[in-house]
Amino acid sequence: MHPNLNTSNIIALLKKEFLLEFRQKTSLASILLYVLSIVFISFLSFKSGIKPDVWGALFWLVLFFAGINAASKSFFTESKARGIYNYTLYHPTEFVISKIIYNIVLLWVVCLCSVLTFGWMIGFPVQNVLLFILTLLLGSAALGGSLTLMSCISSKTGNSYSVMSLLSMPVCIPVMLLSLRLTKNAIDGLDWSVSYKYMGGLFIIDVIIISLSLFLFRYLWKE
Amino acid sequence: MSQFKIQNSKFKIKVALIFNFAFLILNSFCFAQQNKIEDAPQMADTFRSEGKIYVVVLVLSIVFVCLATYLIIIDRKLKKLEDKVK
Amino acid sequence: MKHWWWKIAAIALVLFSITMGFIGNVPRLDILNETIRNLYFHVPLWFAMLTQMGISWFFALRYLNGYNIKYDILSSRAAYVGGMFALPGIITGSVWATYTWGKPWVADDPKLQGVMAAMLVYFVYYLLRALIPDAQTKARISAVYNIFAFIMTFVFIMIYPRLAPNSLHPGNGGNPAFGRYDMDNSMRMVFYPACMGWILMSVWLLTILNRMKKLQYKLDNHESI
Repeated sequence: MHPNLNTSNIIALLKKEFLLEFRQKTSLASILLYVLSIVFISFLSFKSGIKPDVWGALFWLVLFFAGINAASKSFFTESKARGIYNYTLYHPTEFVISKIIYNIVLLWVVCLCSVLTFGWMIGFPVQNVLLFILTLLLGSAALGGSLTLMSCISSKTGNSYSVMSLLSMPVCIPVMLLSLRLTKNAIDGLDWSVSYKYMGGLFIIDVIIISLSLFLFRYLWKE
Repeated sequence: MSQFKIQNSKFKIKVALIFNFAFLILNSFCFAQQNKIEDAPQMADTFRSEGKIYVVVLVLSIVFVCLATYLIIIDRKLKKLEDKVK
Repeated sequence: MKHWWWKIAAIALVLFSITMGFIGNVPRLDILNETIRNLYFHVPLWFAMLTQMGISWFFALRYLNGYNIKYDILSSRAAYVGGMFALPGIITGSVWATYTWGKPWVADDPKLQGVMAAMLVYFVYYLLRALIPDAQTKARISAVYNIFAFIMTFVFIMIYPRLAPNSLHPGNGGNPAFGRYDMDNSMRMVFYPACMGWILMSVWLLTILNRMKKLQYKLDNHESI
């Protein structure tokens, strides 16, 4: 049976993840490069300037695929032997909590970088910045939660990146749509009262996604 | 006898009156309906009044009944196969 | 002929809806005109799909609780039947929309988006099952995806239409499924039996597919389930 759920284990796992990230630097660097090149390409393609609503759509698409890029690595790097080692040492929930937190933080970093690159190359039309930041935090938390589970599923198929993006696409549609609407509200600088219900919806989806991931992960881990 | 006759004729008049009245009401109702039809959105009224709609119903029902019968046959064949394997 | 009564009932209900759907009275409405009768044939497909989705989801949960392959067969077959009903649903919806809303696909309608998300989930689910060769792993992984994805789709179908203000579908911004269609009582008398009939038809198809797959499993593995 699994050992009991333990907070210190989660912290240890998280430390391991971030340490690996800092040592290798390749995965974060590759994501940043990806964001940079996509933004550059879209800058070249929209020569006449980008309308604000197109800006929002473009931003979330870049974020979504960068997120898939980032999260897909979270299970492929694990070898089979290490998987078994982890299995004896940790509770699956500890493991998935650490992975989700790691992915969410990673996505937040990706968000920051995309905002900077977008602002640098294309412009930053957002009027209600606080609403935009909140949307980014909530939306990427939802993306991080679902992408973690999807990356675990796709690692079981042995077929890496393409399956991962296919699996996550339909699952992330609600998150993407709500975030897009909120981003549009933020860009147009609408009153907060317009956005409350969408924020509520996004928050509910966040809670559902993360609790489902916690519940379902133990079934994926059994080998 | 004569009394009966009188009563009978009275009855006839009553009936005729009622019919007349009913016809009037019905008539006005029908006209109202017609006026409404002219104003209302267009529907396939002519097609319907010619009775051709029953042909459509018949055709669709036959198609569906054929498919359903085929489903029943498949179901029975499957049952036989299941018994055989058992 | 013990269990045949509900199959006969399914056929009778659908036949009733076909007959009364054309002969019965419908309200005269602008734009819709006679096409309002599509309601009897297009909408029940969605109810059948949602039923199959629910069945599939429920048995995926049952499968994870004990890993009995029987439930995986049932769950995956329900997903196949659901997809089979979703496809004509989406095509008929497109045809209907072309002649009433003017376009086969209306961009900003939350119901269409929700339905498209459900379709994508189905297709990805089939793909996922095709990709994993081992039966037990396939069952486990696809059950997890099934539970996660269908909850997300359901949340989407249920929550998003309430949030988004602009739906062309009836019952705007309110109840996504029932709500006030532009239906009078004579339409309801046909619409509910039609839904019931098509749901029963889908369940019938499910039992046939399920029995077929079980038979195949029995022949392949020489063991009973």
